[in-house]
Amino acid sequence: MVLVASACGEEGSGGSGGGEPLISIVSKGFQHQFWQSVKQGAEDEAEARGARITFVGPATESDVEEQVNQLTNELAKSPDAIGFAALDSQAAEPLLEQAQSQDIPVVAFDSGVDSDIPVTTVATDNRAAAALAAEHMAEALGGEGKVALVVHDQTSLSGKDRRDGFMEWMAENAPGITVLEPQYGGGDQLESADITTSIIQANPDLAGIYASNEGSAIGVINGVRESGRDDLAVVGFDSGQAQIDAIDSGLMLGAVTQDPVDMGRQLVDAALNAIDGKEQPERIDTAFYWYDSENMDDPQIQAALYQ
Amino acid sequence: MTAAGDAARALLDVEGVDKSFPGVRALHGMRLDLRHGEVLALVGENGAGKSTLMKLLSGIHTADSGTFRLNGAPYHPTSPRHALELGISIIHQEFNLVPDLTVAQNIYIGREPRRARLLLDDRRLRADAAELLDRLHLPLDPRAVVGELTVAHQQMVEIAKALSYRPRVLIMDEPTAALNDAEVATLHELIRRFVRPDTGVIYISHRMAEIKRIADRVTVIRDGEYVATREVAGAETPEIIALMVGRAIRSGARPEGVREGREVVLDVQGLSTKALLTDVSFDLRRGEILGFAGLMGAGRTEVARALVGADPSRAGRITLRGKEVRIGNPADAARLGIGYLSEDRKRFGLLLEQDVKANVALSALRDRFTRAGFVRDGALRAQAERVAGTLRIKTPSVHQTAKHLSGGNQQKVVIAKWLVKDCDILIFDEPTRGIDVGAKEEIYQLLNQLAAQGKSIIMISSELPEILRLSHRVVVMSEGRVTRVLEAGEATQENIMHYATLRPDENPADAAELGLPAGEEKAGRP
Amino acid sequence: MTVLKSEADRRRPWWEGVTLAALRSRLQQLLAFASLIVIYTFFAFASPYFFTYDNFISILYSTVVIGTLAVGTTFVIISAGIDLSIGTGMALCAVMSGVFIVNAGLPPALGVPLTVLFGGFMGLVNGINVAVLRVPPFIATLAMMLVAEGLALVVSDSTPIYFNDVSGYTGISTGHLVPGLDIPNAVLVLLAVSALSGLLLTKTVLGRYTYSIGSNEEATALSGVNVRRWKIAIYAFAGLFIGLAGVLISARLGSAQPATGMGYELQAIAAVVIGGTSLSGGKGSIVGTLIGALIISVLNNGLQIMSIPQEWQNVILGCVILVAVYADRVRRGEP
Repeated sequence: MVLVASACGEEGSGGSGGGEPLISIVSKGFQHQFWQSVKQGAEDEAEARGARITFVGPATESDVEEQVNQLTNELAKSPDAIGFAALDSQAAEPLLEQAQSQDIPVVAFDSGVDSDIPVTTVATDNRAAAALAAEHMAEALGGEGKVALVVHDQTSLSGKDRRDGFMEWMAENAPGITVLEPQYGGGDQLESADITTSIIQANPDLAGIYASNEGSAIGVINGVRESGRDDLAVVGFDSGQAQIDAIDSGLMLGAVTQDPVDMGRQLVDAALNAIDGKEQPERIDTAFYWYDSENMDDPQIQAALYQ
Repeated sequence: MTAAGDAARALLDVEGVDKSFPGVRALHGMRLDLRHGEVLALVGENGAGKSTLMKLLSGIHTADSGTFRLNGAPYHPTSPRHALELGISIIHQEFNLVPDLTVAQNIYIGREPRRARLLLDDRRLRADAAELLDRLHLPLDPRAVVGELTVAHQQMVEIAKALSYRPRVLIMDEPTAALNDAEVATLHELIRRFVRPDTGVIYISHRMAEIKRIADRVTVIRDGEYVATREVAGAETPEIIALMVGRAIRSGARPEGVREGREVVLDVQGLSTKALLTDVSFDLRRGEILGFAGLMGAGRTEVARALVGADPSRAGRITLRGKEVRIGNPADAARLGIGYLSEDRKRFGLLLEQDVKANVALSALRDRFTRAGFVRDGALRAQAERVAGTLRIKTPSVHQTAKHLSGGNQQKVVIAKWLVKDCDILIFDEPTRGIDVGAKEEIYQLLNQLAAQGKSIIMISSELPEILRLSHRVVVMSEGRVTRVLEAGEATQENIMHYATLRPDENPADAAELGLPAGEEKAGRP
Repeated sequence: MTVLKSEADRRRPWWEGVTLAALRSRLQQLLAFASLIVIYTFFAFASPYFFTYDNFISILYSTVVIGTLAVGTTFVIISAGIDLSIGTGMALCAVMSGVFIVNAGLPPALGVPLTVLFGGFMGLVNGINVAVLRVPPFIATLAMMLVAEGLALVVSDSTPIYFNDVSGYTGISTGHLVPGLDIPNAVLVLLAVSALSGLLLTKTVLGRYTYSIGSNEEATALSGVNVRRWKIAIYAFAGLFIGLAGVLISARLGSAQPATGMGYELQAIAAVVIGGTSLSGGKGSIVGTLIGALIISVLNNGLQIMSIPQEWQNVILGCVILVAVYADRVRRGEP
């Protein structure tokens, strides 16, 4: 990368040249509360450690090209480290190679990057988290009944892991539970709500619904509310005001939350360690918790929940 | 008619006005004075600058220089709204009405009576409108939807709207273009009631007979400049026309030569449409001008549109040069050498945003101006310039956008398009509508020339003198049927009128009244 | 045409056709280009990382997909139509490319033209719906947008199709045909098809009728032009660009992403509009569209490099669209 000298000085985005190190974070989205919390955690950690961050992400989680463009643009700034959550690992591979050749360490986060280049991956074990949701659902249903899945996406790793983790746990540990064919709502609240109402209509004997992310969960909550059923075991994923309220009101049994704030903090921590050339484990698991009306007020849980 | 009282002080005074648009000098040293209590006719060929003057008076454009005085005070409108507030109302040739709203809503559009600032007061709106219509003696229902009214009634709505502002000066641009005689009389009645010692009317028209009936004086303009003003009482029509065109017009003769023995190029039998036409049959000979006469709504335009496949026909057999043909759309018709020039050139004839050469070349583009799909721009431009020269189209160049041309020149562009296509059969629908006397004469000569060269022409016209002057034979229609085909020798205004008012299902003796509502002409279009 | 032969055919020098109006329209495009330069210069001074050769190439590269879609849809918009199906249609075409080349094992030399033709086929269906069945373009292509979105998922079984084992496929976008120039092939493809489209739009019957139909469809039909057939041709032709965009994006990403594409149509339309093409038809140019697409990518790139928060980037982009369209109207003297 050739840098052309420019008359005007350092503008907010100084590279490796001096001052505080710059960490460019390219996420999978930026509008959702989840990503905003990752950003929050990253900003907190950066402030505490004397670093600066930028945080970008595509408008939708299927827009691979936009993410590739954003990563390209971040690389143009020659940051000291890059945090990256790939929508499609392969599409980003040439850019990761470019980062490597520029000696910019890459830290993968969220669902990770399928490549050797990242120094470490900061992520939730989605399969384990989904299994935890399945376990609580099975327990609530007494090990019997018909269960539906509203999943946010069938192409991304997180979508697949959260679907498969749930279904596999049920298959192995709860033979009395029938799992219906998963339905996909794109994480869109409205679409997920429509899917939910039609599932409920088609299956009068339905006992529970599992939603795989915040958008899906909000949709499921609305769908259940519209259909007037109050005997369903609804289990969600992630947090946000809508799920917290639904758990408070008893409509929702509980949900598994990742700890996005923790993820943002660990991401910046790993990036700073990488800049300093410290040895790091291949995987850094971030926390996840089951929360319901009983433990929701625990300080540890509270810290992970975002509104 | 109110006599011009205080002639010395003008109600509206325009002096030394210049206005240019890019590439065109529209007005130069224009002047005009309207006296108190008078009707002033304003005449001039298309492109003489009438529309520009109207746009200056209504505040749409601003003059480059010159003075405007209304009742002695400087008059500088900044918008049509402002012009209305200052006391000048203009009724444009093309109506400014919202077809889906009612009469009352249209009259008070933009200043609807309200309650509590936000809520519309429909009751007061209707009451105000009813009172206004009553005062003006207009037979309109305030609740009627404007789009469902006849053209004449729509015009009344425009007038009511204009007069509701209580203007000092009322300007009317070609107000009678779409009206029949009875409706024109009603309109003149309205004008006479409006004219008081403190008001005045500027009346733009091409019809000399009407001007003689309604106006006190007539001002002639030409090529953006003032020419002369005459008292109507002392002016002869040929003199006015000579002033307008700047040259003497020889009055028309009857068509020469009979086409009886000639070959029949087009034979139409039993043409019918779902909406109107019933069993229309006629033939067209080589080199013949076949006039189509009839009242509004008789179905003449429908015949043309069905013939070229613009509207579907239900039945009928078309034989072209001895061979039966099927015409499913205008592209088929054009391929067979039949061209149709619509009466509504802006809607159906022109690409207003494209330049003259693009318009001229549109029909013949693929036959004459392409090689392997690529347009031969040089040949196209040369042809466009040639035909623009032949037809004397007034334009700075063939690159001029069509919308910047005057009405008459736009019509010539449409004619040029079909001349370049080199059709054998041309259907002219109201070829001189909205065109001034001088340009009319040119178009008549053109039609005669084309016929003399062996082209066959169908000419639909509502002006009987035009029909009589040009047609070798006249097809007269009434209520979707052909009631009679007249030879040139036997056609007179009287017998054409007789057959035009004949109702196919009625005793001919009862059909004296010419009361068919206008506006039905549009019936049956998609 | 004896009437017209009364006057002699004269040869005229070329400059007689050059009028003030024609000069002014050249100047207008120059001005659009100038505003692109102004924005570019602004960023060059605002950030030291913007004005580099690599970043210049990045900007061009990021323009390719939207630019290709925008060039094709310029034809549709000049004809007073609209095509909302180009975004998800592109995703479907990318998937079809995967089906042809990866699943069916066709060589890229065959699979790529097939994909482009598949895009043309989608356009053809749009054209038939619009011109023959008389469905308003907005509705017809909205329906196609949904059909394409769904089909892309169905055909691909909702899984990206990877071109890993197809040698040379990604080279269509990422390779460098011109040695030493470091310009990705995708950029060269965009420039080539733009030049070709500009020629087609200004010099051929297809282009002339595109303008004519957009100016006044009824008058064009009554002039004997088979408007139905030409409208079908216009949509089908624009469809080829959907196919091409599908190839370019999948070659760039190395995979066909079935769930992508939604929203691309609006960005392409924005590029066309910024480029001075009127949504009411009859006016527009390919050069304008390219400039419009470049303005969008320069803004996206420059704002990100300046580390402007992402929320604000869209706000600024929206404002720029408004200013560009307004400025264009002022230049044309339409208050």
